[in-house]
Amino acid sequence: MNRRLRKALEGLMDQDIERRRRAMEPFVRATFELFIRYLYRYLGNETECEDVLEDVYADIWESPERLRNVTNEKMLLKTVYLYYMRKRLREVYRRINRYLYLSQNDLKNLIAPELGILEMMSGVELHDALHKTLGRLKARERRAIELWMDGMSNRAVANELRTTIGAVKMLKFRTILKLKKMLSDYCCED
Amino acid sequence: MPDTNREIQELLVDYAGALRDGSIPAFLKSLTRQEGRRIASSREFWDSAEVVRYLNSAGFADKAVTPNVGLFISRVDAKIASRLKKGRPPSRVKHGTRAKSVTKTQKTEKPV
Repeated sequence: MNRRLRKALEGLMDQDIERRRRAMEPFVRATFELFIRYLYRYLGNETECEDVLEDVYADIWESPERLRNVTNEKMLLKTVYLYYMRKRLREVYRRINRYLYLSQNDLKNLIAPELGILEMMSGVELHDALHKTLGRLKARERRAIELWMDGMSNRAVANELRTTIGAVKMLKFRTILKLKKMLSDYCCED
Repeated sequence: MPDTNREIQELLVDYAGALRDGSIPAFLKSLTRQEGRRIASSREFWDSAEVVRYLNSAGFADKAVTPNVGLFISRVDAKIASRLKKGRPPSRVKHGTRAKSVTKTQKTEKPV
């Protein structure tokens, strides 16, 4: 953990709420990018990420005890996710839940899932793992995923691969399942 | 007209698209009762959804337009100030739905 973040965390442990409030600024500066990128994984929407993060920081200010024993960045992210973010993430779509045909539990699992081994990978580790696993896919499978990641619609991907939209959807689904298996194996190897 | 009886692979692709485009609420609202059940019972969907989140994180999180940190800090500070003013813990999850359903039941009850 870098010195700036360690100092910021120390400041958060102050008993005085006003001092703790002042300590929030360096803490937010040190962690903002990390947290917002992590939240983006679940929401895919900048505005919602900001709203959730605002509440997360206020919760941290109010009860920072969970962060007392944090020693590194990965542990920080894990603790913040488990004790501060997840609760807020689960509330994001609570307001529309009464109109949904998805049970409360399924909605929770979709928006704020339990942590898996893969879930806690850092950005660099994740990039590395994905790069390696994507490299092991068949050319057509890789192309479908890459085109999708470039922002193309299913129709555009189908045109590019000279196939139907239904076939593209099936190809993506199968490829994603394959990726899941490969990523799990990758983690086990590590 | 939206497809109302999507297979699991279509649901997954639509979820991935919604996550990529930041329109999860639209995806959630588009689900029918049958599709909701299909998602709940499909192990493959949950496995794939996990990978979709990683892809979203790796492919798009860097491209996301994040706000100015300075401005964001003032938002956080304002939030803290408002909590200080209220002088009570943050809003807890209220189980309002229970009260609602009771009212609904009462409404439908016929007088004896």
